[in-house]
Amino acid sequence: MMTRRNLLAAALIAPLLLLVLVSFIVPLGATLYRAVEDAEVPSILPQTTALLKQWDGKDLPSEQVYHTLIHELREAQEQQKAGPVLNRLNFEETGLRSLLLQGLRASQQFNGSTKQHLIALNPRWADPHVWDLIKRSTGPWTPLYFLRSVDLKLGPGGVVVPTADEEAVFIKLFIRTFEISVVVTLICAVLAYPIAYTLSILPQVWTNIGIMLVLIPFWTSILVRTTAWFIILQREGPINALLVSLKLVDQPVTMIFTRFAVYLAMVHVLLPFAILPLYSVMRGIKPDYMRAAASLGAPGWRRFLRIYLPLSMPGVAAGALMVFMLSVGFYITPALVGGSGDQMISYFIAFFTNTSVNWGIAAALAALLMGMTGILVAIAWLLVPGFRSGGVRV
Amino acid sequence: MMKSKFLVSTVTYLILACALPSLASARDLMVVGFGGGFQDNARKHLFQGYATEKGVKVTDDVYNGEIAKLYSMVKSGDITFDVIMVEAPEMVRACEDGVLEKLDWSLINKDKFIPGGASTCGAGAVGWGVSLFYDQARTPQGPANYADLWNVQKFPGKRSLRSGAKMTMEIALMADGVPMADVYKVLATPDGQKRAFAKLDELKPHIVWWKSGAQPLQLVGSGEVAYAVGYVGRTIKATEGGAKYPIQWNTLLFSFDYWSVVRNSPNKAEAMKLVNYMTDEKPLMNLAQDWAVSPATASVANNPEVIKKNPGMVASHSKEGLFISTDFWVENGADLEAKFNAWVAK
Repeated sequence: MMTRRNLLAAALIAPLLLLVLVSFIVPLGATLYRAVEDAEVPSILPQTTALLKQWDGKDLPSEQVYHTLIHELREAQEQQKAGPVLNRLNFEETGLRSLLLQGLRASQQFNGSTKQHLIALNPRWADPHVWDLIKRSTGPWTPLYFLRSVDLKLGPGGVVVPTADEEAVFIKLFIRTFEISVVVTLICAVLAYPIAYTLSILPQVWTNIGIMLVLIPFWTSILVRTTAWFIILQREGPINALLVSLKLVDQPVTMIFTRFAVYLAMVHVLLPFAILPLYSVMRGIKPDYMRAAASLGAPGWRRFLRIYLPLSMPGVAAGALMVFMLSVGFYITPALVGGSGDQMISYFIAFFTNTSVNWGIAAALAALLMGMTGILVAIAWLLVPGFRSGGVRV
Repeated sequence: MMKSKFLVSTVTYLILACALPSLASARDLMVVGFGGGFQDNARKHLFQGYATEKGVKVTDDVYNGEIAKLYSMVKSGDITFDVIMVEAPEMVRACEDGVLEKLDWSLINKDKFIPGGASTCGAGAVGWGVSLFYDQARTPQGPANYADLWNVQKFPGKRSLRSGAKMTMEIALMADGVPMADVYKVLATPDGQKRAFAKLDELKPHIVWWKSGAQPLQLVGSGEVAYAVGYVGRTIKATEGGAKYPIQWNTLLFSFDYWSVVRNSPNKAEAMKLVNYMTDEKPLMNLAQDWAVSPATASVANNPEVIKKNPGMVASHSKEGLFISTDFWVENGADLEAKFNAWVAK
């Protein structure tokens, strides 16, 4: 009987599990895989890959390796397949693409030793480090994308070194992403608390109206709300018109394309996520406790600090967690109302996915963002009281 | 009863789901361009002209040059674009990378183009350019060249440039006093690139970056930015609509867009025929009646009537402007775009 009930329970959960598997675990796994996969060179230049696996890495490779590389590359180019290889190698080190294309173009006129011709063409071909770089790209795995996501790379001899200053941006971007998210979370928590409290003590009719006022923007598309801020904040928009007509400022204030606009629009978009869990927790706090505290002689501030605040903490934690998780992945709002210095890491994940077609680095950045967010949430789970219950009162 | 109904609907659904991929190949011919007034007129004269003549359905869509869409389409095998308008260096790279079909010159007449108009994967479509413009209603006397654009004391207010290395690097060097003829010589050296970025550093706090061609006009039109570098064709159209945006031809940077066919398009042959039609004299002459087009088809580009009617043809101003070097950007595009993005994020 027991087993049959268990089976039934399992069957009822099965669709949910399947959904989680198909829509969450599989794409996540595929993303992680793409962040370490290194398939371009081995699949398009198989013979060169095989030869380089045997190369000792000290002296220059033999004539056969030079010849095979150029031969395979030219074949790939004729079949329109050379692009992925060239892009992969160029990401290993900037300039390899040009070096290889220069060699390929000149190779039409080679007669005799490919090695000597190439070295005569460009002295870089006499540098074993170039071959080291190509060998490093022969898969099947690469740490390159993860290293690059934290502004590191492999230098000569496989030592991990920091990338050049002009290429080092990702750590800065991660810091900026978390900074914006923390500020937005704090503002949301501070604003949501009194709103949720007011809603929880109003008569039912007014509560319903208040909840609708929270829900209607919540149901409106993010894009619409962000665009609305764009219109309100612009140089010749209503706020500037008001400020100028009241003679508060002489010149219109620049508000759009600033960090201020990003905070404002993000807080507006995310505020309902903080209000709703807080409201549901506050509704559950019995007024009896506060009365009991009052009858024992506790003044108002003390009643709040000792009774109300700890009891409402699960709501604060749930709301803050929700707002933080959503802000970390924000993309549209900073892209529309922020300047170039206000873009968050998602902007770059989108850039590498859509524009520069480097899915390896996009996947590594996404995986890192997920990992860091996970760690932060885990720390909060351990340290902040009320976090574990996640807003559900136990 | 309930059960059998459920079964029937499930089976029907499964059959439909299996049949869908084969239905996909029977979709309409899809042309994708950069939008704007050009595309509105191309829809009338080129896309629908072909549709009427051949009795096929042609639909069109807009993109901002995100060539990666093609890479993911070709990689996943779900090809939803057939013919696409591509900027020259992107066309050459996408061709090397195998996401564009080699054009079938038995279906497309190769001899009708101006020099450079017929490439392995691209048939010359139209010339385009960007130039500096501002609203004379707000700023009677704005910057006259790129050095002026950098002068924030004399010309206060925000500036808008296209987000990307291509064109921005050239503009920065010209602002720094590099003569037009030497721009690519300087930009090819690491020092030249450093110089361009250093010059951009000066103006960075005053720049608003745009992505789609409609943005510079909106930004200038709403007074959000004072000066912008935007597409000439759209600026001229806005001027015809009553705006006072004089074109500074000495700030022109120009190039050609190409028509290309997406690799493994299910409508490949039809797509090639459409490319041939869109570069033919007759439909282009019709288009030239409505839009200041600067075609890569020699007989139209050199037609005195067309030249006279469209003073804004970029080809007529090629001596004043800088030709955006396709070779340079094929070679350096990937590196410089990555560096630009790192720079812009800081």
